[in-house]
Amino acid sequence: MSAARADWGFPTPLENVSGAVAIAGVGEADHTKASGRTPKQIAAQAIERALADAGLTPGDVDGLMYTPFDGQQFTAGDYRAHFGTRHDMWVSTQGGGMVWAGSAPHEAGLAIRAGRARAVVNVFSVAWATQRAEMVGGPGEVHAQELFKQNLEVPFGWFPQPVYFATIARRHMHEYGTTPAQLGAIAVTCRRHANLTPAAVLRDKPLSLAEYLASPPLCEPFRKEDCCLISDGGGAYVVTSIERARDLRQPVVEVAGVGVGNSRTGAYWSQQGDITSTPQVFAAPGAFRMAGLTPADVDVLACYDPFTIVSLMQVEDIGFCRKGEGGPFVEGTTLHFDGGRLPYNTHGGMLSHAYVLGIAHVVELVRQLRGEAAAQVPDARVAVYGGYTGPQASTLILRRR
Amino acid sequence: MKFRDDFPLPDTAWPPTREFWAAAARGELSLPRCDGCQRFVWYPDGACRRCGATSRTWTVLAGRGRLFSWSVVRRAFIPQLEGDVPYVAGLVTIDEDPAVRLVTRIVDADPAQLRIDMPMRVVFRPLRFAGVPRTVTAPMFTPSHA
Repeated sequence: MSAARADWGFPTPLENVSGAVAIAGVGEADHTKASGRTPKQIAAQAIERALADAGLTPGDVDGLMYTPFDGQQFTAGDYRAHFGTRHDMWVSTQGGGMVWAGSAPHEAGLAIRAGRARAVVNVFSVAWATQRAEMVGGPGEVHAQELFKQNLEVPFGWFPQPVYFATIARRHMHEYGTTPAQLGAIAVTCRRHANLTPAAVLRDKPLSLAEYLASPPLCEPFRKEDCCLISDGGGAYVVTSIERARDLRQPVVEVAGVGVGNSRTGAYWSQQGDITSTPQVFAAPGAFRMAGLTPADVDVLACYDPFTIVSLMQVEDIGFCRKGEGGPFVEGTTLHFDGGRLPYNTHGGMLSHAYVLGIAHVVELVRQLRGEAAAQVPDARVAVYGGYTGPQASTLILRRR
Repeated sequence: MKFRDDFPLPDTAWPPTREFWAAAARGELSLPRCDGCQRFVWYPDGACRRCGATSRTWTVLAGRGRLFSWSVVRRAFIPQLEGDVPYVAGLVTIDEDPAVRLVTRIVDADPAQLRIDMPMRVVFRPLRFAGVPRTVTAPMFTPSHA
């Protein structure tokens, strides 16, 4: 990366929370195609399951985190109404899915350390399969609502996200020699993992590399299989202090490190200084420093994956291979759960498991570290979630104690 | 959020980009240039990222650039684009500053002949969408063989 491009983003300074908190419970709602459920109903199911998993009651939870981006997320008011609780809760809107599924444990850690909460639920849910027809460009609607995009991008048809990232993928192919078959290797691996995961939406749909390459172009160089599925679903996890986690029923999954990186051009990918990178380049170093670990220590990785190219860039940018070498790196069985160098999206990811914007990735990693995942990586001790939104990325490092 | 009736035509009255569209209507490609450091401010969404100045002057460009990347879009993700697919949308950098990228359509070209870094020149074409009666003249790009 040239010196001029190295300045295209920056890390968010974070306080050191390493070893202070743990993810003590995880839960997922049912992931389905259009179901007629609302995001709040889905969120309630995910939280119920996370509490049961942790061995906590609704009254034990005194903190809630969510993403206020669509007006449909589960709030503290919803919590009290659904669970019949009356106590005050610490609330943060710096939670939920996407980048925040990775950074929420840091915010929760600060609140727990300051005595503002003892058990914090982070929850995210969508019903975009149900709602898709009413959304302008489906999940692209939030981008169409942004006025610079609405006036300078959408009129040209550079919309929605599949077109952004197909454009970025072509550039990555030009700059580094990445090939369609290498993107296909990511799609095929994630599908294989989904085929092994009972809760995955595409559990019954196998995909071979030959089938991927034969699939017709959608927005070149992307095929349909380069793009995540759209589904209704959600997930939640519970953060407590390490001491509290030791007293609860699950093996302790410690938050070892957190990092957040930012692009100076926000959500305008068209203007991003280094368009073939993600803000993980600014997030990952701080996370590994906080954890006292390196990418070589990582047993399993799960990245926010709306498109194959987004997986590939994050694998490079978090530091598992050199920039530009992501293509050769992901070929063959590198990413497979059983014997791969870097087991990846072992539940199938957003490509093949569910489109719940990363919350299910963190749930899967916690299960991996407990030894209870479907496509279980032998003796997984260190797991990393790469979260992403556009303006920001997060690196969350979890460790089994 | 309810979108305008003529979505996805641009709102040519929206102040931050009004002059971009007014220039296009005149057959000119014009972008704002920072009065403090002369750098192009794109998108004009706040102070100049380099020097912090807020004052800028819209400047007509030569209309030449390079193809940065593109996608051949074969599915209409919104119904208004039904009449357009397949179309080529992408990013063109301007010769005056290769760090500035315009989102645009690539027209009058066989997609199979496109190459990254290919020289491009601006042309002005109407944006025309299924179900939308108005049109707006927009800067689009075509390979320049000069």
